[in-house]
Amino acid sequence: MYLLLGLIGVVAVFALVRTFLPARTVPAGAALGAVAVALLAYDHQELASLEFWSGLIGFVAIMSALLVVIHPNPMVSVLFLILNLFCIALFFLILNAQFLAVIQVIIYAGAIMVLFVFVVMLLNLKAEEGLRLGGGPQRSGAVVLGVAFAALMFYAIRNRGAAPYFEPESFDSGFGTARGIGRLLFTRYQFAFEAASILLIAAMIGAVVLAKRKLR
Amino acid sequence: MRVEFFLLMAALLFTIGCVGVLVRRNAIVILMCIELMLNAVNLTFAAFAHENQSMAGHVFVFFVMTVAAAEAAVGLAIVIALFRRRRTTDVEDASLMRW
Repeated sequence: MYLLLGLIGVVAVFALVRTFLPARTVPAGAALGAVAVALLAYDHQELASLEFWSGLIGFVAIMSALLVVIHPNPMVSVLFLILNLFCIALFFLILNAQFLAVIQVIIYAGAIMVLFVFVVMLLNLKAEEGLRLGGGPQRSGAVVLGVAFAALMFYAIRNRGAAPYFEPESFDSGFGTARGIGRLLFTRYQFAFEAASILLIAAMIGAVVLAKRKLR
Repeated sequence: MRVEFFLLMAALLFTIGCVGVLVRRNAIVILMCIELMLNAVNLTFAAFAHENQSMAGHVFVFFVMTVAAAEAAVGLAIVIALFRRRRTTDVEDASLMRW
């Protein structure tokens, strides 16, 4: 826990120095690197723990998501979104969903993000000017509703009942594999699967029609 | 690993994506923020699937990914059509159907 927080603090201090004191980047980087190495030497056992890695991945996921929203250049946003998708894929691995992690990388980070990169490059967008921050009553209303929603989520996560009990001996070793998902997909969720194929065809035709220059 | 960590992470990512949808002007970035929100929901599904040892959650993630792919294709086609007509992807400039 301390190692993770320490490393995150080191990175944060470095980012602050780089932003506000660009002239001191090199000495600050050397000093903070030494601090990081000292932290690793002091508490290297933590490197083997799942908590450390999930915390690190979570930190990277949150930071990349923030950069997607904050960065004015759409191309940089796309690249950080890809990083975020990789972090989610790692979370899937931690949660024992191997197949989902694989298709997350192949379909999301591979296929869908290529589409985004392609469109951003095609349109050759410039960085956008300014965010759409609403005026007085809208902003205060957003703050009130946001705090209320955060309180609701906190309450829901805190009081969501005990976890169902299951014995580790009965753990299904097929959990999260392609075989397990396929078995469910083609039996219980057969109808939804077929509906998804129709949805994809409809989306494909729709995309072609919308992007076509002239319909005839 | 406690499931609350993943729920909290998903809630944070969803909030960031939601703020992005509300705050950005560029239609492509708005679509990316929607992907961010869908991913947060996927993470919640996977966390609960892990907790309940039920693979139905994984199937739902699968369907969410399908819908996300369809949504991205149609959304980007709309953005291209908009750009061709108006030379912009700013959602403020596309306000014909607003109140």
